[in-house]
Amino acid sequence: MEYALPTAPNPLTQLGRTLVADTLKLRRTAALWLALGGGALPVLLNLLIFYFKGQYFVKPGTNPWPQYVGMSWQTASVLLLPMFVVLLSGLVVNLENRGGWRQLLVQPVSRGAVFGSKLLLLLGLNAVAQVLYVLLLLAAGALLGWLRSDLGFQNHSISLLPILRMLGHTYLATLGILGVQYAVALAFRGFVGPLTVGIAGIVSALTLLRWEYIDMVPYAAPTRILGMMKSEPQFSAAAALSPAEWYSLAWFALGVLAGYLLLLRRPVTD
Amino acid sequence: MSSAPTAAPLLETHNLSFRFGVRPILHELNLRVEPGSIYGFLGPNGAGKSTTMRLLLGLLRPASGTVRLFGHDLARHRVALLGRVGALIENPSLYDHLTGRENVEATRRLRGVPAHRTAEVLALVGLAADAHRPAREYSLGMRQRLGLALALLPDPDLLLLDEPTNGLDPTGIIEMRALLRSLGHEHGKTIIVSSHLISEIEKTVTHVGVIQRGRLVFQGSLPDLQRLQTGRAELVLETENADTCRNLLPNLLGGATVAGSGTLRLPWLGREHAAELAAGLVSAGQPLYGLRQEQPTLEDTFLHLTEEAVEE
Repeated sequence: MEYALPTAPNPLTQLGRTLVADTLKLRRTAALWLALGGGALPVLLNLLIFYFKGQYFVKPGTNPWPQYVGMSWQTASVLLLPMFVVLLSGLVVNLENRGGWRQLLVQPVSRGAVFGSKLLLLLGLNAVAQVLYVLLLLAAGALLGWLRSDLGFQNHSISLLPILRMLGHTYLATLGILGVQYAVALAFRGFVGPLTVGIAGIVSALTLLRWEYIDMVPYAAPTRILGMMKSEPQFSAAAALSPAEWYSLAWFALGVLAGYLLLLRRPVTD
Repeated sequence: MSSAPTAAPLLETHNLSFRFGVRPILHELNLRVEPGSIYGFLGPNGAGKSTTMRLLLGLLRPASGTVRLFGHDLARHRVALLGRVGALIENPSLYDHLTGRENVEATRRLRGVPAHRTAEVLALVGLAADAHRPAREYSLGMRQRLGLALALLPDPDLLLLDEPTNGLDPTGIIEMRALLRSLGHEHGKTIIVSSHLISEIEKTVTHVGVIQRGRLVFQGSLPDLQRLQTGRAELVLETENADTCRNLLPNLLGGATVAGSGTLRLPWLGREHAAELAAGLVSAGQPLYGLRQEQPTLEDTFLHLTEEAVEE
């Protein structure tokens, strides 16, 4: 008696199904709340700063927007954003660490689909968080125009193109951290390991900011690209990618490759 | 669905070996599971049952040897073959932040199974009323049943269940047995169920494989196992003083062991031997209160099989 070989779903179907399942698993998780609410913290901080002390930052009669956006971007990029990516990748991977891997890996989907689905989920959540951040930032600026009309937010505007460019640069700059932390989270089988590596990376990057090769350190990339935002003579941001972004992309590629090999070869013993 | 010897096995391993680092765990396992059978995979804790189950599902890579499911090499066609397999490995891994229904839904969407299956499997394992509760509130027995629901979701031809009665109360164990029998006998599923207690599965299984220290020490149908134990029947003899009898009849009772002050046990050699022994005792002037043949239970046979391997 011969058995016909069952047909496997094609790789894209496998990836799609895994992604749908992974998205469902995000319900009520810290990872989801972090992605949806993470952007609010720097915005709230700067809203309070400008509400209470705005007169010290804005020269009367000038456009307050570039100063406001620049300060807020700095608050977000130096520490909060790298920390956000470290936490997000750790939390998403950690969803499977209580036996989820063995349940997941006995399903008829390839390990590549499992890996790709979580990667897409991380990229998506990271994008959602950063876009929400920008929307909140602009909304809070408009709110300041109403709450503190003496600062002049309501009388001036800010061009969106530099903001969108900075959003793109910042997103690329976080990819290096994301790739590395995803691989690290897959290597460790808990949340503490990747968190420790991430904090060590961020602290090292901040300590080494004056090093001539700092562009090669992925955790410093979001800080390194801050210089691309200029408020003089007018608010602008360059379109071309900076070296820090290229290195960030390289780290992303390396992290993705290492993470994929780790998951592909992992014996499931937990 | 009979286990005719000509039927191709649904699952088969060939010289399957595994080691953790340099420590060998499994030695050249040759499992053979016939279609439609309920195969009890038995062994003490640490014998290598879970490791074997993980190898059968491709969670671990064998050091050497092959696994064939439905006649095809698992290493080459893992994704395709797993589409027809449902598995429950040790304590089911559930997402505690999701409800019971969401747990089933996550796996259902992953497998691309029709939506109506979610309610069906939840009803089948008796969790329909609790499906809205978060899995973290589930008792161990409920978690085990939810794990089984996940395994049944794709209506698989082959079910691999690793210690499915772990953590179940006596009623739960009886229900699980009934469910396995119904799945096997009425729905024609082939089931591999591991356990460290033969008493837990002997009423359910049709075939048995016994593993000890990573080696398969027995494999065959339940009648095969029962036949194995007829060779190990014992004659139990009740008298006044066991020691005295043994000294009086060294030829007949030389191989007997004293099991109590008045009880002797010796291998069952046949009816004639029993009659001869009775006559001998009476002529030696000793009282004969009882003389009976005792069959070892399946559990004794199982223990004997696993102990033998230890002594090797």
